[in-house]
Amino acid sequence: MTKRLVQGNEAVFLGAIKAGAGYFAGYPISPSSEILAQASGYAAKHPEFKFLQEEDEIASANAILGASLAGAKSFTATSGPGFSLMQEAVGYGHKVGIPAVIVDVMRVGPGTGMPTMPGQGDILQARYGSTGDYTSFVFYPSTVAECFEYTIHAFNAAEETRSPVILLSDAFLGHLNEVVDLDTIDVPVVNRTLEPLASGGTRLFSGVATYPDGEPATADSDEFIRQYLENRENRLKISEKYAFYEYGWNKDSDTLVIAFGITRRVAQPLAPHFALFRPIRLWPVLGNELTEIAARYKKIVVIEGSDGQYASVIEHMLLRRVERVPLLGGRMSLEAVREGLDRIGLLPKESEPGSATAADASASASVA
Amino acid sequence: MAVKDKLKTDLFPTIWCPGCGIGLIMQQLATVMDEVGLDKTNTVIVTGIGCTGRMGAYMNFESVYTLHGRTLPVAEAIKTVRPELNVIVVAGDGDTASIGGNHLLHSIRRNPNVTVLCNNNEIYGLTGGQTGPTTPKGTTTLSSPAGSGFSPINLQGLVNTNQNAFYAKTTVYHQGPMRRAIKEAIEWPGFAFVDIASQCIENNGRRIGFGSAFEMLEDYKSSYKAAPRGATHLEPKQLGIIKNEEPVPVGAAKPAGPSTDGEKA
Ligand SMILES: Cc1ncc(C[n+]2csc(CCOP(=O)(O)OP(=O)(O)O)c2C)c(N)n1
Ligand code: SF4
Ligand SMILES: [Mg+2]
Repeated sequence: MTKRLVQGNEAVFLGAIKAGAGYFAGYPISPSSEILAQASGYAAKHPEFKFLQEEDEIASANAILGASLAGAKSFTATSGPGFSLMQEAVGYGHKVGIPAVIVDVMRVGPGTGMPTMPGQGDILQARYGSTGDYTSFVFYPSTVAECFEYTIHAFNAAEETRSPVILLSDAFLGHLNEVVDLDTIDVPVVNRTLEPLASGGTRLFSGVATYPDGEPATADSDEFIRQYLENRENRLKISEKYAFYEYGWNKDSDTLVIAFGITRRVAQPLAPHFALFRPIRLWPVLGNELTEIAARYKKIVVIEGSDGQYASVIEHMLLRRVERVPLLGGRMSLEAVREGLDRIGLLPKESEPGSATAADASASASVA
Repeated sequence: MAVKDKLKTDLFPTIWCPGCGIGLIMQQLATVMDEVGLDKTNTVIVTGIGCTGRMGAYMNFESVYTLHGRTLPVAEAIKTVRPELNVIVVAGDGDTASIGGNHLLHSIRRNPNVTVLCNNNEIYGLTGGQTGPTTPKGTTTLSSPAGSGFSPINLQGLVNTNQNAFYAKTTVYHQGPMRRAIKEAIEWPGFAFVDIASQCIENNGRRIGFGSAFEMLEDYKSSYKAAPRGATHLEPKQLGIIKNEEPVPVGAAKPAGPSTDGEKA
């Protein structure tokens, strides 16, 4: 039992080590760079852990796939612009079936955007960023302890699904320091599922459509569909084990707030007024859970750090109107949440119990 | 073991056009592998995208058919995780020097112990014959009907920016020198690059006036000459190997020290 101050990015790194990671490749970018620094420092003391600062994120993403094929649990960390550069490799990893973890500590985009400000604009990129159809697993913790915990789950899911799993974080959470005892977090670790390269076979790890024997299947639609559906069914089945979410706050309210990652923390002072649904697994969408819970509420409002990316997803899934409170330009503050709620007529009256305290508001503002 | 055990002959004929030079490279690679004892338990092949990239599918090895241009990050990572393996990259000129150019630059600098066989057909073969990074200036291609406007990339110069790296130039006509170059490259304890001139008859040769693959091979025969003994630099159309006599072995990526600097963009 050792309680100490741990930073969100550090917790991610420690979670990766706990999960058995043996290889990290990355390229510096705020607000993820502490993970790269942690990895380099760890490698200097533990020669069995391999580290490479790459020439770019394209190299990083492809390198972790190569390392995984060679036998190491592997990961990289980046932010929006770097994540965009990795997208071709994400699709390749899905096609070939390679376990790996990509950590995206979100800042405000597009472009170089606001490098040190927290954003949540990669929600769709994390799901649909690469070409073609594939079934992606995406987790998004909202505390430092959870950064540790869900990094381990991300590595586990990567092994089980044999795909690159995305762990989202953000500039706020990544740089947040909280007192935690990581030793008390116990997540069983899934062993490697992929036989490493040169085990005596003659497998071909191909991003090109191929038959199981390695022959090109680049014009066989039936074979393509067969493989795609098999993969999708398999991954959706596995996702049942990873149905992580939080449902709480004032469940008797007639309005359900949906918030995830850091926005859930920012919205905490609204607890007396609203029910809360916080998906931790953003993708595949928690369809059954959401449908059942949402049915109990008259109104649904999504508070998120993008202009409605996840709100649209939920609206589409539930086939009903969803209100939006977008926190844009890095304004992850209670004040911004209240302004947003006011705009849609959902701001609780000041006199009502549980209005935000000055302490809550300033805690948010000081990190944002 | 025999050379043919290195190949998945049951998948023959290959998809390569009749007369293509890629098969000649595969044949000599298989021969060298047999000679130096490379097999599926100690060797991994990493290929790029392009006609050349198909080679891995035809060899009795575990093989990673990477994305276009990404052989080197993958190969280097494999070598880092499994230093005991021989890692052999086979890729086209476009894959290696254009879309993968940044990786090439930095792999040369880091000097991992991987072997690169670059099938230099001076064209984007698979996509129909567009100008590539090694296409000679003035060449008519699908994407340069009036002749390509730029000088080709200097692969030798690039590789030799690291004095510990190995560079060899050969052609598919010169089977003996090609075999020697591949063998020495595999044995070289660092980054080794074999630049192999090879004919793409269908999507390059015919457009520039060759009637057959044979004519292209004849052209290699007459135009390429061995470099003088002791050459430290190869002139155009010279065959040879440029390497340091006393190679300083540099392994795969080494851990760097912890970083303490913050970053603000
Ligand atoms: C990201 C990406 N861009 C473009 C392509 C299309 N493409 C496939 S092969 C190729 C060029 C191949 O040329 P080279 O590497 O010289 O190989 P060759 O076919 O000549 O052996 C291109 C542009 C692709 N597959 N992926
Ligand atoms: S297009 Fe050119 S490089 Fe490709 S297989 Fe045919 S001859 Fe060979
Ligand atoms: Mg080519």
